[in-house]
Amino acid sequence: MTTAQMPKAAPAPEAAAVRKPPRRRREGAAWVFLSPWVLGACVLTLLPMAVSLYLSFTDYDLFNSPNWVGLRNYTQMFTEDPRYWRSVVATLTYVVIAVPLQLALALIVALALKNMKRGKGFYRSAFYAPSLLGASMSIALVWRAIFNDGGTIDNLFGTGGWVFKPGWALLAVALLTVWQFGAPMVIFLAGLQQIPGELYEAAEVDGAGRWRQFLSITVPMLSPVIFFNLVLQTIQAFQVFTPAFAISAGKGGPADSTLFYTLYLYDRGFVASHMGYASAMAWVLLIVIGVVTAVLFRTSRSWVFYASEGDR
Amino acid sequence: MPGNRTRKSCTTAVVLALCAVLAGCSDTDESSRAGGEVVLRYTWWGNPDRAAKTQAAVDLFEERNPGIDVQTSFTGYEAYKQKLATQAAGGDAPDVMQLDYRMIDQYATGGVLLDLSEQQQVLKTSELEPGLLATGKVDGKQYAVPQGRGTETMVYDTEQWKAAGLEQPRVGWTWSEWADAMRTVAERTGEPGGTDPGQSEDAFEVWLRGQGRTLYTADRQLGFTADDLTRWWTFTDELRREGAVSPAEQTTQLDGSVENTPLGRGKAASDVNWDAPASGYLALVPTGISLAPMPAGEDGTPGQYFKPSMFMGVAADSGHPEESAKLVDFMLNDKDAAKILGATRGIPVNESIREDIAADLKDFDKTIYDYQATVEGKLDAPPQAPPSGDTALQTTFMRDYDQVSYERMSPREAAENYITEAKAELRS
Repeated sequence: MTTAQMPKAAPAPEAAAVRKPPRRRREGAAWVFLSPWVLGACVLTLLPMAVSLYLSFTDYDLFNSPNWVGLRNYTQMFTEDPRYWRSVVATLTYVVIAVPLQLALALIVALALKNMKRGKGFYRSAFYAPSLLGASMSIALVWRAIFNDGGTIDNLFGTGGWVFKPGWALLAVALLTVWQFGAPMVIFLAGLQQIPGELYEAAEVDGAGRWRQFLSITVPMLSPVIFFNLVLQTIQAFQVFTPAFAISAGKGGPADSTLFYTLYLYDRGFVASHMGYASAMAWVLLIVIGVVTAVLFRTSRSWVFYASEGDR
Repeated sequence: MPGNRTRKSCTTAVVLALCAVLAGCSDTDESSRAGGEVVLRYTWWGNPDRAAKTQAAVDLFEERNPGIDVQTSFTGYEAYKQKLATQAAGGDAPDVMQLDYRMIDQYATGGVLLDLSEQQQVLKTSELEPGLLATGKVDGKQYAVPQGRGTETMVYDTEQWKAAGLEQPRVGWTWSEWADAMRTVAERTGEPGGTDPGQSEDAFEVWLRGQGRTLYTADRQLGFTADDLTRWWTFTDELRREGAVSPAEQTTQLDGSVENTPLGRGKAASDVNWDAPASGYLALVPTGISLAPMPAGEDGTPGQYFKPSMFMGVAADSGHPEESAKLVDFMLNDKDAAKILGATRGIPVNESIREDIAADLKDFDKTIYDYQATVEGKLDAPPQAPPSGDTALQTTFMRDYDQVSYERMSPREAAENYITEAKAELRS
């Protein structure tokens, strides 16, 4: 058990007590240095969260002061709002399509880059670039233009405007996300470089082909990184907003097919001025993401392999 | 002493951090009084054509009032609605804002708007048409003043209409005559006759009024049933299936701007719109456009009405209520301003100005004036201001119809959905 042993860098406690200033003073300094972050976290994250939790039980409409309505927002969401369920279906469809595609592409490119002799740095940056640009409004607008009526795709393949075809529109948004595979790719690349070369040499001696090596060495050795990327990208996918907003011109259309959860949340809050309802939606989303992440962690026990545990 | 240095830099760090925080919340009054001048923010929605005219009028106002600097900004209607609501909620509403009939109730009861009677020294309302002026009142207080009056119209491409062998629609033509015209255009030209009106709450209201019913009852509930809406959507859905009105891919692109209507894109021969924004089509339809009255009910009951179009309101927390009211007064009552503005926000509500400028109206403004004259005295009174939830329901209406035009729901299902959503909306 090497992993359980923490490095013992701290000197013996008796010796420290003599020289160091009292514990409280040391902590004080730490707090001062932390203060910009703590201030930001409290004022810009925790406080708004607390307020939104309160608002989710009210009928706050931006203009009048909020009135307590108990669980009404929540019951309305689940029983009286057909559009809410359409947004749930659209989001789940998107997550199920975009996340696996994106991770697969990231892994393939990382594998290709790993064995590259020259120009690795250049290609790594080149493939990463879309991730830097991708979250921006401008790229989403370009995307809309590409998939629009008379856009590039329409002209090349005569498909018509994907943006206005239910089903295809969601795919256009998903492709934008898939294209931004840079972040998971870089993480995969780092993970791949951690796999000891001897494992591959040994496998080769035993006569394992490349596919066999990939399945029996790369995938298990990389599984913690795959897991990490999966959790991260899933959480992000649930919160997708900008591309869908730009591509559907803020409507989540056509026919609500790209009305993602966050887009509908925005619509309820800022278009319909039902901030209480929107807050309730946000909290449900938070809980759902929490549950999904917990489920992923639960399943990870059966497929994620930690090399250090292998010693046991 | 190392300890001392640490403390000093800590203090510096804290001071810097606080400076950064304080800089973030510096007072807004600072920016509204640049160089001793009063700075007003004035926002509206509209097209570039309206923007150019408005800016020219504002320039004249600034020239006459050297101490006042007016900062203007405009966007399309949908974006404007959202932006203004957010600004208002953040206590940062522009000093002078353009409002729609459907917004007044919400903004007035929400305390965003100033009671303009407080500024009656500067803002004169004596020449405004009393009936229209009253539409800016909520609970007896004048929260907003209408700038013009508008009415709905069917705008059509004159040449295409003629090429299809159709005559100019007369006042009192019916919805079934309209539907036949749509079919004829589609047959003769191969393109849809017009925008699918199923998505428009405004068009539905005209149809509904033609049957003697209203969108909302006096106690702010729905004035129609799922059956009524099912009939309307079945009517438009069938026309769409026949190709007589625009397909779903075109209809879904509507966003309130004339550029994104099928007529504006050259994909249909007509559109249903308000008369003032229809001027935007001039630049888009090179062969010229005409305005026709909206179809009436089968027994001739008119559905359209003169609606106060585009109100002006002043923010309750404006730092310069007097100057703001002055700007409103200028836009409404000044003759030179009226000449510049023409009918870009509808025919003026100021009666003496309306008569004055009638002779001077040029081009499309004249077209609108003449159009309104054809229906003058033939329409029923406007409904009362719609309840607050109506702005949201407009969007819901479009979206539910999207489900119909993309054939994901039957008109009946979509109508029942809408009724459910509308009841929840109006309850809150």
